[in-house]
Amino acid sequence: MNTEIHDKRIPIIRIKDFLIVSIQVDMHDKLAIQLQSQILNEIEKTGAKGVLIDISVLEMVDSFIGRMLSGMASMASIMDAAVVIVGMQPAVAITLVELGLEMPGVDTALNMEKGMEMLENRIKEQDIDF
Amino acid sequence: MSETFNISKPKERIERIEDVLATVAAGDMDARIQSETEDDLSGIEAAIDLLIDDLTDELRQSAKMRKEVEDKLSKIQEQQKTIVQQQEDLLELSSPVSKVWDNVLILPVIGTLDSQRTQIMMENLLQKIVDTGCTIAILDITGVPTVDTQVANHLLKTVTSARLLGAECIISGISPAIAQTIVHLGIDLSIIRTKATLQDAMIFAMKQNKRSEDARLQMQQSNSDEKDV
Repeated sequence: MNTEIHDKRIPIIRIKDFLIVSIQVDMHDKLAIQLQSQILNEIEKTGAKGVLIDISVLEMVDSFIGRMLSGMASMASIMDAAVVIVGMQPAVAITLVELGLEMPGVDTALNMEKGMEMLENRIKEQDIDF
Repeated sequence: MSETFNISKPKERIERIEDVLATVAAGDMDARIQSETEDDLSGIEAAIDLLIDDLTDELRQSAKMRKEVEDKLSKIQEQQKTIVQQQEDLLELSSPVSKVWDNVLILPVIGTLDSQRTQIMMENLLQKIVDTGCTIAILDITGVPTVDTQVANHLLKTVTSARLLGAECIISGISPAIAQTIVHLGIDLSIIRTKATLQDAMIFAMKQNKRSEDARLQMQQSNSDEKDV
């Protein structure tokens, strides 16, 4: 059982300055914690400027996963990487809101394409500011 | 002074009275004693006849009333059925979400909002956002007369959920009464974008559309410039 969870690593793909994480399995708490540190390590290693987390196949989210996602966004942002969560399902959104997890600091997009656009814009704005 | 009653053929007449009473008790209301002799017993006989008359009337009337009540009951049941049917229809009809422009959805809300209706509305809207990929949703509440805490809370939840999906929700057409209620109830709508009229909301949506379009074009431009270099 334990080894099974450890085996199921969620792949993190790097494209240019972005990391793409597509969650395609049910999230256990352990897997979530593992993913969190995995992503943060990857940000440090690659110097990525943005992270896209695709949760379009995730049908159920509990308060722990919700908190993990919003926590990850704030952690990544202090590491100078913007996080966009894409493809959330309506039922998941309703659940999160009912749980009181409105994720105020997290950017969201309807699909991967729009999320990518959003990240590009974000990075460009930062360049201009600089 | 005579103490005896003046009654002719008492045995037969009393039997007659018993017979008639038995027939009436069995349900035949037409039976009467109709005695023709005039003596001490005839008064009682006449009184019994009268009582049977009254009883017949009474019975007829109560039967009529029962029929009326039954008619009314069935009518009320029918009306109840209609009301339930209409409520269901209303729930189905009450939350149409339509796409009015590229990227723009409109949800006009008309009539009083209750929790159930808002819940269905919210689910419809979110599903439609996902199905069409629109990033702007306008919630027009011009047709809503009043709002209470629960409904305001539901509106807030709708907007927040839409944001989590990656769409922006604009509320338009907040009437003075609703604005007053919301502020009096102490609900903070400042995190929600509100516009005075549906027109304003549409204009805002178009501008937003144009802005993101421009940004995309610029992005493509700069990308191709990089390639040229």
